[in-house]
Amino acid sequence: MHSFSGRLLIAASVVLAAFLGLTGLILDRAFQDSARAAVQDRLQVQVYMLLGVVDVDAFNRLTLPKALPEARFSTPDSGLYADVMDASGHLVWRSPSLLGRALPFFPAVRNPGDTQFAPLESAEGDLLFLLAFTVSWEVAPNQYQLYTFRVAETQWNYLDQLWSFRRSLWGWLLAATGVLLAVQGLILRWSLRPLRRVAAEVTEIESGQRLELSSNYPDELQPLTANLNTLVRQGRTLLERYRNALGDLAHSLKTPLAVLRNALENGASPEELRQALIEQVERMNRTVDYQLQRAAASGPIALSVPLPVAPLTRRILDSLAKVYAERALSLHSEVAATTAFYGDEGDLMEILGNLADNACKWARRQVVVRAWPAEDDGRAELIVEVEDDGPGIPAEQAPLLLNRGQRADPMVAGHGIGLAVVRDLVEEVYYGRLEIGYGALGGAKVRARLRFQAR
Amino acid sequence: MRILIIEDEAPLLERVTAQLREQGYAVDTAAEGRTGLYLGQEYPLDAAIVDLGLPDMPGIEVIRRWRADGRKFPILILTARGRWQDKVEGLEAGADDYLVKPFYTEELLARLRALIRRTGGWTQTVLDCGPVALDIGAQQVTLAGQPVEVTAYEYKLLEYLMLHAGTVISKTELTEHLYQEDEDRDSNVLEVLVGRLRRKLDPDRTLNPIETLRGRGYRFRLERAAG
Repeated sequence: MHSFSGRLLIAASVVLAAFLGLTGLILDRAFQDSARAAVQDRLQVQVYMLLGVVDVDAFNRLTLPKALPEARFSTPDSGLYADVMDASGHLVWRSPSLLGRALPFFPAVRNPGDTQFAPLESAEGDLLFLLAFTVSWEVAPNQYQLYTFRVAETQWNYLDQLWSFRRSLWGWLLAATGVLLAVQGLILRWSLRPLRRVAAEVTEIESGQRLELSSNYPDELQPLTANLNTLVRQGRTLLERYRNALGDLAHSLKTPLAVLRNALENGASPEELRQALIEQVERMNRTVDYQLQRAAASGPIALSVPLPVAPLTRRILDSLAKVYAERALSLHSEVAATTAFYGDEGDLMEILGNLADNACKWARRQVVVRAWPAEDDGRAELIVEVEDDGPGIPAEQAPLLLNRGQRADPMVAGHGIGLAVVRDLVEEVYYGRLEIGYGALGGAKVRARLRFQAR
Repeated sequence: MRILIIEDEAPLLERVTAQLREQGYAVDTAAEGRTGLYLGQEYPLDAAIVDLGLPDMPGIEVIRRWRADGRKFPILILTARGRWQDKVEGLEAGADDYLVKPFYTEELLARLRALIRRTGGWTQTVLDCGPVALDIGAQQVTLAGQPVEVTAYEYKLLEYLMLHAGTVISKTELTEHLYQEDEDRDSNVLEVLVGRLRRKLDPDRTLNPIETLRGRGYRFRLERAAG
């Protein structure tokens, strides 16, 4: 089952069917019981009536008059029958309605005052209700004799009543089920309407007709739609960044290509061509690297959990310690355990890694990485600072270093795009600032201010 | 020096292999992680170069398994993406240095030499033992400041001995680390090479830089200079 309404409909139908079915069965049963009780009462009355007309003849035998108070006893096959048995089980009287037939043998003679009632089948196959009542009759003074009066009635009437009751009972129950299901379907449609609206609005966002989901959703859906909106916004910023990056990439590749084409067209010597090729290939390589790293940035993640900075700093410094093992640098971090970053782990690693790597390249013995939380207008910020005891960066060189693909020292292995990548991450992705200055150790100090919400 | 390269990009693998062989390294190659993993477990390597993006098994996994098996040779990772996350993961898995593609082969060679030097306990690019000095960067040997002409084979042998100066190295170890799979492994060749080195480094037979320990192997016995 892949839809809410389907699931709810099935569940509700099963419950309804079980409930109404059970109700039907119980009502049916109750009706049967009361109908049988009524039959039993009626038969008991007939017995009393017969007892009322009993007489005793000259031989102290029990007799009943020809004209009985209930006409049906006298009419053959009327459906109402009676007979009387003495203590030894011999029939002393049968009602004319029996007309040669016999009531099924039931029950044996019991004690006076006993009543027995049971549904039975006659020898001819008719379904009967049979009531037996045993009396002790005073045939002569102080002379008593046991007689069992049996009255039987066919079940035609009873069955007719039962079936007509059943017909109307199940008819009504089915009708009720149908109405309830229909009502429930309507309720479902009504309460799931916001979900359908979300789907429709998302489709509109996909096709570009809409920027965000509307806000008037039920309380239960608000968190979902708010989060969806955040994701949509994040996706849009990302898309914009990719678009810009792609444009930048294409533009920055144009220059080296133009230089190469110029060299070709101006008939440069093979040696000059070779030189131009080497330079421009290196330049293109740096550009591609730089754009690649920039494109990988994720940015602040609105739904992210706070990422502890200290362990990440430790990992970066441990890795760098390995790479610069032979220079025996002392790499320190001063980050409180509670300092957190609200963005993509990869981005923070990129910022810390590039800054610390640069510092290691220039440091004489020491590199210190610091990070602490700050606040601006109630918005959380994170300050990251990396300092070394190298020669430092002269103020007039700082802007050059931050330029794309500039290499401060071509002799130091590695790509000089680190700082530029960090600047882009900090300024374009984390709405912050990157400052280059001198630190207490005497070398360069680079400070990045990261913000997690646009201003 | 015996180097293993695991790289799935055939042209790059060929280029690097050719250049390493030119530099006198014995090179084993693998284009898949599993083959490389096996070679690293079975061969006496001096260093390995591992590409992180392999088709069948991540390079990081290969490195982790080697380290878990107690293999200690230095490992240089090659990565195309250059993300710090990848670099840190690689270094944490047990690699010793990284290089971002595309790279200049010179840079790869320099990193590799530095790594091998580090495992021998040397921190300088010039191995200084008494009057004998071997410049790994320039691949030059000097005796008391005067350059000594050595052939490529002699250089390889001397470099290995000096990197492990002070320790005894068996002939088997030497042949395994110095020769290609398919090269002639006659141990007489070694004896001839050692003899030639002795004549070149110790013309008046007073220094005795390489001593022979009968049945055990050779040892470069000059003390390392401080530093």
